Amino acid sequence: MQHETLDLSGVPCPANSARALLRLETLDPGAELEITVDDGEPALNLPPSLEREGHAVIALRREGAHWVIVARKSQ
Amino acid sequence: MTIYLDNASTTRPDDRVIDLVAAAERDAYGNDSSVHAMGVEAGKRTEKARLQVAAALNASPGEIVFNSGGTEGNNAALLGALAGRAGKPHIVISGMEHSSVANPVLRLEKSGMAVTVVDPGASGLVDPAAVQRALRPETALVSVMHANNETGVLQPIAELGALCRKAGVLFHSDACQSFTKTPLDLKKCAVDLLTVNSHKLHGPKGVGALYIRKGVSIAPLMEGGGHEDGMRPGTRNSPAIAGFGLAVTLCTPELAAKTAALRDFFMEELRKALPKARLNCADAPRLCGILSITMPGGTGAAALVRAMSAKGICLSAGSACSAGSNEPSRALKAIGLSDKEALRTIRVSLGRFNTKEELSLAAKELAAYAA
Repeated sequence: MQHETLDLSGVPCPANSARALLRLETLDPGAELEITVDDGEPALNLPPSLEREGHAVIALRREGAHWVIVARKSQ
Repeated sequence: MTIYLDNASTTRPDDRVIDLVAAAERDAYGNDSSVHAMGVEAGKRTEKARLQVAAALNASPGEIVFNSGGTEGNNAALLGALAGRAGKPHIVISGMEHSSVANPVLRLEKSGMAVTVVDPGASGLVDPAAVQRALRPETALVSVMHANNETGVLQPIAELGALCRKAGVLFHSDACQSFTKTPLDLKKCAVDLLTVNSHKLHGPKGVGALYIRKGVSIAPLMEGGGHEDGMRPGTRNSPAIAGFGLAVTLCTPELAAKTAALRDFFMEELRKALPKARLNCADAPRLCGILSITMPGGTGAAALVRAMSAKGICLSAGSACSAGSNEPSRALKAIGLSDKEALRTIRVSLGRFNTKEELSLAAKELAAYAA
């Protein structure tokens, strides 16, 4: 299964959501994208942005000052 | 009938760009800094354009700062790089820079900084050795445009960047005319600051970008919100930025080659009818769409432009940015033209929509007027 990573640490809201959604547009349905964002607003804003466009948030974990959010592209 | 041969001034936007901008204005009008759904919708367009512009330069998206265009980009680069510099920094520029480089540098000179101007000479090319000789221990920045807006001559910015890097001097280049028309790989070319814009490449007006190499620190021109990582506060014109991004992707090497072929065809047609028409900087590497032509004695460029305009042919005497002035062009004088020659010199600049038929007709009309 397609699994890619996208480092958006340091990228502010909502540009991080925009870039994550743009990357998902390039992936196959069902593919997973592991997105790294900063703690705080980015980690709070990205999951609802992904879900609003029909993608699933399947994992969320903290790694130091960042969060890693794993999204599955909508079918 | 209109034959538009002033594409170095500005271009007709591509219909696909116009459609995209109109759709974005209608459907994605949110502020691309807002975190709600409409903000993200606009933000997707802005960020897609950032990726497109970055890809065209082989840069990182974080190195692209969107702004209002070339004049802002050049001012931001020069005034921002020199802001707060201790001591009396020294700046080196070429003698044929656009006013949006030359005039901020004039302001810096009035504030006490030292400036050296390096003229290109008759070839139209800035000699890297001359720039090397101009460097001093206190030199802070060198600025040489990538392609001249009047002669179209492509400057050796890779060599200039390399020598500046070696000397620990910032290197800025104004690439407003050349962007997307000739390859430029910023991973291979040691440019620290690069100005690009949209309306010279069939994109919307009022939008451009400044490339700031990662690790290079400059002060913003304005204070405000944190847009563009604090480098350019103010609500972004997201629809225009989206149009800029699309316009960049529509420029191809094939289109540039086609434009270059049309440029050469026009010059041949003109020479057949008017052998004394002289192409300036003919032996230098030149941009695909610009011709600087000194007409035979007695043919004033300003009168010629008016006469051609009456026939629906749009071209310019010198550059649009100094149009309306009776002063001979600084760039033309820098390549060694006398005042009289400069005032007999026209610029013909081609774009995506020009055809062989209209170029043939324009050459005939020009020759008939000048004969």
